[in-house]
Amino acid sequence: MYKVNEMTTTELPFYQPVSNEIELFEHAFNHQLPVLIKGPTGCGKTRFIQYMAEKLKLPLQTVACHDDLSATDLLGRHLILDGQTQWHDGPLSRSVRGGGICYLDEIVEARKDTTVVIHPLTDDRRILPIDRTGEILHAPDNFMLVVSYNPGYTNLMKGLKPSTRQRFISLSFDYLPADQEQRVVEAETNIDSLRAKQLVSLANSLRNLKGQDLEESPSTRLLVYTATLMRSGFDNREACRAGLIEPLSDEPETITGLMEIVEACFG
Amino acid sequence: MEEAVGKIWHRLVSQWAYQGYPEATVELDSIKSSLAVFLRALGGDGALKILAADKQAVKQRRSLLQRLAGTGTHAELAWSDQQSLLLPAKLDGFDSAWLNKTHYYWLVALASFSQDSPEYTNNWFVQMQQRCLSLIQQYPGLEKKYQALVSAHIANRPLIENLKGADAVAEKAIRQALLSPGSIDHMPDAEKGIAPVLLWLRPGQLHAAAVNTNSEADDGEQDHKPGKIKKADQRRHRAEYQQDQEQEPSLISIRHETDIFSLSEMLKIARPPEDDDDDDLDNAADMADDLEYLTLNKDQKSRASRVRFDLDLPASANGECELQGGKLLPEWHYQKQQYQKDFCRIVPVVNVDAGPADLPAHLKKTAARLRHQFENLINQQCWQRRQEDGAELDMEAVVDDFALRKLSSHDAEGKFYQQLRRKHRDMASLVLADLSLSTEAGLDDHQQVIDVIRDSLFLFAECLQQIAEPFAIYGFSSRKREYVRFHTIKGFGDNYNDQVKGQLQAIKPGFYTRMGAAIREASDVLKARPNKQKLLLILSDGKPNDLDQYEGRYGIEDTRKAIKDARQLGLTPFCLTIDQQGADYLPYLFGRNGFKVVQNADQLPLALPELYSQITGL
Repeated sequence: MYKVNEMTTTELPFYQPVSNEIELFEHAFNHQLPVLIKGPTGCGKTRFIQYMAEKLKLPLQTVACHDDLSATDLLGRHLILDGQTQWHDGPLSRSVRGGGICYLDEIVEARKDTTVVIHPLTDDRRILPIDRTGEILHAPDNFMLVVSYNPGYTNLMKGLKPSTRQRFISLSFDYLPADQEQRVVEAETNIDSLRAKQLVSLANSLRNLKGQDLEESPSTRLLVYTATLMRSGFDNREACRAGLIEPLSDEPETITGLMEIVEACFG
Repeated sequence: MEEAVGKIWHRLVSQWAYQGYPEATVELDSIKSSLAVFLRALGGDGALKILAADKQAVKQRRSLLQRLAGTGTHAELAWSDQQSLLLPAKLDGFDSAWLNKTHYYWLVALASFSQDSPEYTNNWFVQMQQRCLSLIQQYPGLEKKYQALVSAHIANRPLIENLKGADAVAEKAIRQALLSPGSIDHMPDAEKGIAPVLLWLRPGQLHAAAVNTNSEADDGEQDHKPGKIKKADQRRHRAEYQQDQEQEPSLISIRHETDIFSLSEMLKIARPPEDDDDDDLDNAADMADDLEYLTLNKDQKSRASRVRFDLDLPASANGECELQGGKLLPEWHYQKQQYQKDFCRIVPVVNVDAGPADLPAHLKKTAARLRHQFENLINQQCWQRRQEDGAELDMEAVVDDFALRKLSSHDAEGKFYQQLRRKHRDMASLVLADLSLSTEAGLDDHQQVIDVIRDSLFLFAECLQQIAEPFAIYGFSSRKREYVRFHTIKGFGDNYNDQVKGQLQAIKPGFYTRMGAAIREASDVLKARPNKQKLLLILSDGKPNDLDQYEGRYGIEDTRKAIKDARQLGLTPFCLTIDQQGADYLPYLFGRNGFKVVQNADQLPLALPELYSQITGL
């Protein structure tokens, strides 16, 4: 029911810092403070955590939250094995026992009971009580809880409770300034800098439309996808349609207008 | 006979003189929505309405044929002001539909600039060239299109050989400016005028400085009957308040370029108040359609409230007086980008005369059906499979698990049970109904808009009562900022009983639609609710408007701000409207997914409960 990735690569992934986020994260880690990262989809939240985990040489447990994710999925459960029941740790308990970063991605998506589970971990007690086994786990110094969410998510019926938000050091991410975003697109895809520049300028035009014509802005991730298509020789215009325009809108008139922008940028 | 021959001659000669390509015509209406997206993506003002421009008089040297046919005196030129972007209703000047379409997109791109460098703002000739230049620099893909447009346009322009003296020099300058924008900074004077540059926006903006500011006083004395407003068609008329003759003429700015392009005519449509002849008013409306430039004389009592063209009048400064009593709410001034404190007075209204009433007989059957549907929806339970605990064994899970363990796989989960669960929700909803006078309009012989609004509210209340979710119903109307009626039909604390039904039965249309103030007040009521999710449903039949400057951009911006603030408070605003033009302005107010236009007003009563169940995920 949950996805767990344990990063084992040793090479530091590419990350383009924007301001003091790396320093802030290190300070938070040194003082055992939990961190909340908010920002629009595909702006580099997950990449940042991967980068920090590598930099701090910590194992990373990533849990992609979804609306069926319950507290049990995080804590663990008894399994029947060969006629016996055995306790199996969930990703959170495993992380608390062994140390490292536990990253709950898109925390608002998870069921409400999950946020309650993390509360005692996020104050000075830093404990994780497991009811089923009667254990109380004390987090080691190198354990760090990181959660992320997307505040621009249009379904306002879901949201992070203020009592949960107030338990984290918060970092706000947004799309990079044009020149830096261009560098990211180039570094990720090896595309030539002219087209990378045009792509970023296109993306920034499209970002003007957020909230009115488009539900969401095009993400850096989409730019990287589009650039990958272009880099591999696919037609520029069609790559933009498939990689940038169609993922953002379903309305034919909007798509027509957006394709004009694509033409204005790429000709 | 003479007349018939004359008509045939006119038609023939007009055809000969016509220089367009009918088979390549592109209509504005067919691509308006895409143009709007394009405009906004290029950073253009999101609140600009795209409309069809009027024909404007142009001064140019006409060919013999044109003179014979009496054509070539007017052209539809693109221009924009604070509220709208005016584009030709159709373009057929080039021989391919692609070029004509590109022409539209190019004009929109030119209009997307919100601010030019100050050194050009007063020099239209240089300003247009600079805009072309920076567009091409920023969007390299536009360069090819621009070149195609320029060569096609130059081919349509009069030949330099056929021009004499100053006209030829001016034409040369225009061509140079088109071919290499930015290369020429002086526009030579022409003698007979030059052909309009269709690839540029029309010169000349409206000057707010030249406006008399006593409109507030005028408004108060006039008898406003919004129900009788005569709407001209969707075209906009270029208008300007003319200063009194005695006043300093220097206050009116006259642009050099305007002489070349526009010959405005004076028409006094301001008339004495005692003149109340309907025919005259109709005539005035017709004449306004013919004239591209209206001059209103504000010192006479204008009957502008009877004849309302969609005039582009610069917003006049408002008298600011302190309000006392009632609840005072701020209002957003978009030009100043700040709140005007204590600007509107909310007057809570309850209908004391309304007695208890029952659900109207014609709704009983529908209400019963809807109640039943909602009951089913809320009680809908579903088996949640693969649970650790539960009422029943999930046989499939057991089998899977056994199989996996036989394979000694570690994927076995041990979730053998299934459990029936009911949907849990904690939501409060407030419906805010527009009760302005426009709801008095008749839908057919039997029904007015207010009737369908009343029916919708009844059915909505019936449904929410059935599923026991907290809800409140308020109505609003306004007469300027001093008097925003906030009509309580059912508060959150009230039970939905015969008394409330009596209140619902008694709702009546009144006054105007100061939507921002009403939304702010409704947000205040809703934000006090302890519920986790708070829905603010706005039921409307048209744009925000009021007797003062609230009509137009100001009102739209204030409403938008109120919606934004409501979101900040954690409320979810949503608008349900029967205004068929709603799609023009609602995305700007509520966002693409924040509204719904009901195509047929009759459907509103059923649409409201249906929408509720949809957007709240019932």
